[in-house]
Amino acid sequence: MGAATETFYNVIRRQGITRRSFLKFCGLTAVSLGLGPLAASHIANALETKPRLPVIWMHGLECTCCSESFIRSAHPLVKDAVLSMISLDYDDTIMAAAGHQAEAILEETRVKYKGQYVLAVEGNPPLNEDGMFCIDGGKPFVEKLRSMADDCMAIIAWGTCASWGCVQAAKPNPTGATPIDKVITNKPIIKVPGCPPIAEVMTGVVTFITTFGKLPELDRQGRPKMFYSQRIHDKCYRRPHFDAGQFVEEWDDEGARKGYCLYKMGCKGPTTYNACSTVRWNGGISFPIQSGHGCFACPEDGFWDRGSAYDHLTTIKQFGIEKTADQIGMAAAGAVGLSVAAHAVVTAAKRLTRKGDGAAQDNHRG
Amino acid sequence: MGVKTPNGFKLDGAGKRVVVDPLTRIEGHLRVEVNLDSDNVIRNAVSSGTMWRGIETILRGRDPRDAWAFTERICGVCTGTHALTSVRAVENALGITIPENANSIRNIMQLCLQVHDHLVHFYHLHALDWVDVVSALKADPKATSRLAQSISSWPLSSPGYFKDLQIRLTKFFDSGQLGPFKNAYWGHPAYKLAPESNLMAVAHYLEALDFQKEIVKIHAVYGGKNPHPNWLVGGVPCAINVDGTGAVGAINMERLNLVSSIIDRSIEFVEKVYLPDVAAIGSVYKDWLHGGGLSAKSVMSYGDIPETANDYSAANLKLPRGVILDGNLNEVLPIDHGDSEQIQEFVAHSWYKYPDESSGLHPWDGVTEPNFQLGANFKGAKTDIRELDEGGKYSWIKAPRWRGNAVEVGPLARYIIGYAQGKAEFADPTDRLLKTLDLPVTALFSTLGRTAARALECQWAAHQMRYFQEKLVAHIKAGDTSTANTTKWKPESWPREAKGYGFTEAPRGALGHWIKVKDTKIDNYQCVVPTTWNGSPRDPKGNIGAFEAALIDTPMADPERPLEILRTIHSFDPCLACSTH
Amino acid sequence: MLDKMPQGVTTRIDNDAARRDRSVEHDVVDLYEAPMWLWHWVNAAAILVLGVTGYFIGTGTAAMLGQPSNSLVFRYIRFVHFSAGYVLTVGFLLRIYLALVGNSHARQIFYVPLWRRCFWSELWHALRWYAFLAAKPEKHVGHNPLALLAMFFMFTLTSAFMIVTGFALYAQGSGNDSWQYQLFGWVFAIWPNSQDVHTWHHLGLWVIVCFALVHIYAVIWEAVVSRRSIRSSMISGEREFRG
Ligand code: HEM
Ligand code: HEM
Ligand code: NFV
Ligand code: SF4
Ligand code: SF4
Ligand code: F3S
Ligand SMILES: [Mg+2]
Repeated sequence: MGAATETFYNVIRRQGITRRSFLKFCGLTAVSLGLGPLAASHIANALETKPRLPVIWMHGLECTCCSESFIRSAHPLVKDAVLSMISLDYDDTIMAAAGHQAEAILEETRVKYKGQYVLAVEGNPPLNEDGMFCIDGGKPFVEKLRSMADDCMAIIAWGTCASWGCVQAAKPNPTGATPIDKVITNKPIIKVPGCPPIAEVMTGVVTFITTFGKLPELDRQGRPKMFYSQRIHDKCYRRPHFDAGQFVEEWDDEGARKGYCLYKMGCKGPTTYNACSTVRWNGGISFPIQSGHGCFACPEDGFWDRGSAYDHLTTIKQFGIEKTADQIGMAAAGAVGLSVAAHAVVTAAKRLTRKGDGAAQDNHRG
Repeated sequence: MGVKTPNGFKLDGAGKRVVVDPLTRIEGHLRVEVNLDSDNVIRNAVSSGTMWRGIETILRGRDPRDAWAFTERICGVCTGTHALTSVRAVENALGITIPENANSIRNIMQLCLQVHDHLVHFYHLHALDWVDVVSALKADPKATSRLAQSISSWPLSSPGYFKDLQIRLTKFFDSGQLGPFKNAYWGHPAYKLAPESNLMAVAHYLEALDFQKEIVKIHAVYGGKNPHPNWLVGGVPCAINVDGTGAVGAINMERLNLVSSIIDRSIEFVEKVYLPDVAAIGSVYKDWLHGGGLSAKSVMSYGDIPETANDYSAANLKLPRGVILDGNLNEVLPIDHGDSEQIQEFVAHSWYKYPDESSGLHPWDGVTEPNFQLGANFKGAKTDIRELDEGGKYSWIKAPRWRGNAVEVGPLARYIIGYAQGKAEFADPTDRLLKTLDLPVTALFSTLGRTAARALECQWAAHQMRYFQEKLVAHIKAGDTSTANTTKWKPESWPREAKGYGFTEAPRGALGHWIKVKDTKIDNYQCVVPTTWNGSPRDPKGNIGAFEAALIDTPMADPERPLEILRTIHSFDPCLACSTH
Repeated sequence: MLDKMPQGVTTRIDNDAARRDRSVEHDVVDLYEAPMWLWHWVNAAAILVLGVTGYFIGTGTAAMLGQPSNSLVFRYIRFVHFSAGYVLTVGFLLRIYLALVGNSHARQIFYVPLWRRCFWSELWHALRWYAFLAAKPEKHVGHNPLALLAMFFMFTLTSAFMIVTGFALYAQGSGNDSWQYQLFGWVFAIWPNSQDVHTWHHLGLWVIVCFALVHIYAVIWEAVVSRRSIRSSMISGEREFRG
């Protein structure tokens, strides 16, 4: 560390970032905040003198497994991230202060680090019941979220909760749980979905910002391309068995013991964008498929409402009764087939009766 | 003035009201309000769960085989314990048995959670109630080293080690950016540790942060990841193959060795770091015996960790099972989860609606219908609550009762019941610790007792992991590699209607799920969770729950800085996402 | 009459129409030129292959235990699906070209003149005819309104949908930098969870199956009952009204 403190600028310069690109970052930040060109130099000045990147970590409706995942990070170790890379100024799960001393930090950050702090959100705000399904400091969580979002530089939406709504937003979503980007529309939002996201992906996203001095490139769905642009299936080590048509047919069968593909057990790897099959979990030890269970698409939008985790085909509920595409299709084809057959029978009957009538009129022959 | 609750606590809401919200360093959203008398002693306590997600409502109409994944997302801190409870409930309802190996692996995963959760709770969610980080800056590294070496043979204890840490901490504090240590209660008169003890504790805070991620690798091996490993109705998803084609992708020798080495390291960390720290810190705070609350009166444990598969009777469970009422340690009452008279939930003071709120409902017939309304005497506005009115509805937590009694659950409850049953594996370590600290058995009924029981249980759980890992290997050796029973996997094989329950001892206490299945879908699903018991609001008769009871009669040194409240509430390891779900 | 709709874009087509009007009188229409004929059968074959392979993709093949691990059954199935998908797509583009340069019949399956009253009255008549309520079928050149509805909604739109979603799914494998993703990645903006794209693509299979069932039945029925050589028209390219 520097003389007494290490500024954000020190950290990124040490990572080999030039002053030029640093200034560019400040310019982009100003633009993303909708501020004028003067603000850019203001931000630059602030970051040169202001220390580690302040991060405010808030919790809405969630299960805290995103926080739990974050502290599993092996590289960097979470203690190094928190002590040396960022300044985690508010996080109700681990912060020492409580009550109004905790609340005071939020106000202070808004003023002191206006436009310079990252707002990390775990969970999401419920909008029903005036937001009172999640109360924080006597007020709806959504209020706190909005006010902290107003002055932040960017938002990280942790996990499937913040990104898409996750389990509490599954039907019938009794609390009106709503993903962050539906509530905050005027800030850059980095979605880091997963239930939870992989630890090193989380610290990777945070340290990308402090290391390269910019926000990561996002895909169409707002996820960092670096971790979310390929499917589990694309890099799955069971893929050769998929290609060979070798599938586990039943739990603990011979195929299961040989590590065959879990497609028929409902594996959603082919439609799931995440880094599990490459980065893996808990320091690279395993990932769901490696331990015998199919992927159930935990970072995908609305995965809870796509039928059973074990059904290969999605259950469609729009049609009143729950059925898969094949069930609906076969029923429809069956109905069509039956109608056709019935029509054929009537046609034949008509022709026969006509002949019996002796009225040998054939319309066309007239 | 004041009233006496049916369960024997004197409440007086006349004095100054102090509000702590958010009550941090817990899972989820909790609010605590207390009334102080003129001596700043707590005379009335109100605890309110301030979040609700509706998982029970969301589960209706879904495939019972998926329920574990939904309920697992109730909480990522006690990750997996709801999943285990859920697969047990479904298996119980549908009459599905599991192979012996699946029982061993499930036990290892549940015990792994106990070890991890207890360790993280003590160091990262609780320690700062006893440890003053700023004071550590003043410590003498040499003296710290001597202290550390006097209580443990843990190798990271040289003067240089503590010196380096102190330098890092000093720079950190000098930077002016205090991160998670900002605005805390440093220098509060209730902190009693010497600077050297504080420095040692901070070192272990960071070491535990590094180490906790190792423990859960066991979940990664058997369940694919942590948080939120994978489970399976009928067994476990991981197949065993130690000596054949494709073994490299299954539970094989390398995986077994990996688990085994983590178990060894966990035992070592718990015995050389966690337990000595608890004893050292406990010895300084042993006069602060507040916060006993319900623990001296009524405690409950369902029992868990079945020795053999599919037998959930008390005799086959390694963790104690039963209820103690009114402090009568001579009688441990039996529990029947299916008896509609025993476990019931009330909502008179909860933000839910029942047809008749003067009586309770057994979970099979449970109803979860939100109804947010504030008592007549609350202060503030609907979306800006300044003071709650505990006379009306005031929490998203329901009030579960056992035969009408509020009970405390958790490690302390388990140890009290195990102690009362005379089980040596629980009584002996407890006696040893009490003897080291020179305290009577009654000292257990306290905030400190809760914290100590958790540490002892952590050690017990680490050794039990070793036991079941060896059992698993022995079975594999004997040629049994079965991990799942799929005879009733297909919904066509299920009865048209069925009901069942599953229970576990989660890190925070007794956890039960009740399920009704109809036409292969979930008809009703109810969870009654440890923090639902402990954090419960009042019931229609006025009985207070464990959090509220534990706060009563605690003196506060500085009401502006509610360290004592944090201390006692934290000793329960509250989990609010769990409590309300 | 439906087939008297003005469709003149170019003189050539007008001439075409004139020729056709004349030919109605002669009761022989030179409907299906060789390219159309060729397209129909290539298209039908591609769809058959796509349907079968697609069904397997959605279901997974039967247990392959004991098979040599270098078997690539599933990969081949998928490969055949993708190849047929390309054939279908090229054919569809060709079909659009034929519509642009061909006669008015060539354009029929690309739009339904819902805004014309005569369409509705003819539809009514066709319905009655198929329900054995009308004494005589009206004479149509090209498709009758009912067939047209089925063709447009169940074949043309569905095919286009299958091509778009098919290539979007293909882009998942070829990656976000592929041309497939550049062209069809927007599909995932509509369905962020690509599982939905699979589901809709899969439902499309059944729409086409239903279409094929009705279509083939109708062809045979018309041939037998209406005594139109509708069947042979796809074979010879001519339609003849007998009687
Ligand atoms: C009539 C036309 C088509 C039919 C009936 C058809 C049918 C199907 C079906 C039933 C599936 C399985 C979906 C599932 O996962 O449940 C499928 C998958 C797929 N189809 Fe098609 N399809 C058609 C056209 C196309 C076209 C034009 C393409 C473009 C190349 C295409 C590309 C794909 C791809 C990439 C998949 C996913 C393969 C995988 O998951 O490995 N399909 N198709
Ligand atoms: C036994 C198999 C088949 C026979 C005998 C057959 C016969 C015919 C005949 C006679 C027509 C002309 C109908 C008319 O002018 O009203 C036609 C048109 C058509 N058929 Fe088929 N067909 C067969 C299979 C298929 C299949 C499998 C498909 C695709 C799913 C298909 C798609 C079409 C389409 C789109 C047209 C309209 C062409 C146009 O006018 O542009 N056919 N078919
Ligand atoms: N209360 C609770 Fe849990 C636990 N232990 C679950 O059952 O923490 Ni989230
Ligand atoms: S996204 Fe999943 S893991 Fe993260 S908080 Fe939400 S429920 Fe938990
Ligand atoms: S196990 Fe899943 S992700 Fe892996 S190859 Fe099979 S389907 Fe794809
Ligand atoms: S379920 Fe989630 S953890 Fe990975 S393998 Fe699938 S994305
Ligand atoms: Mg409940």
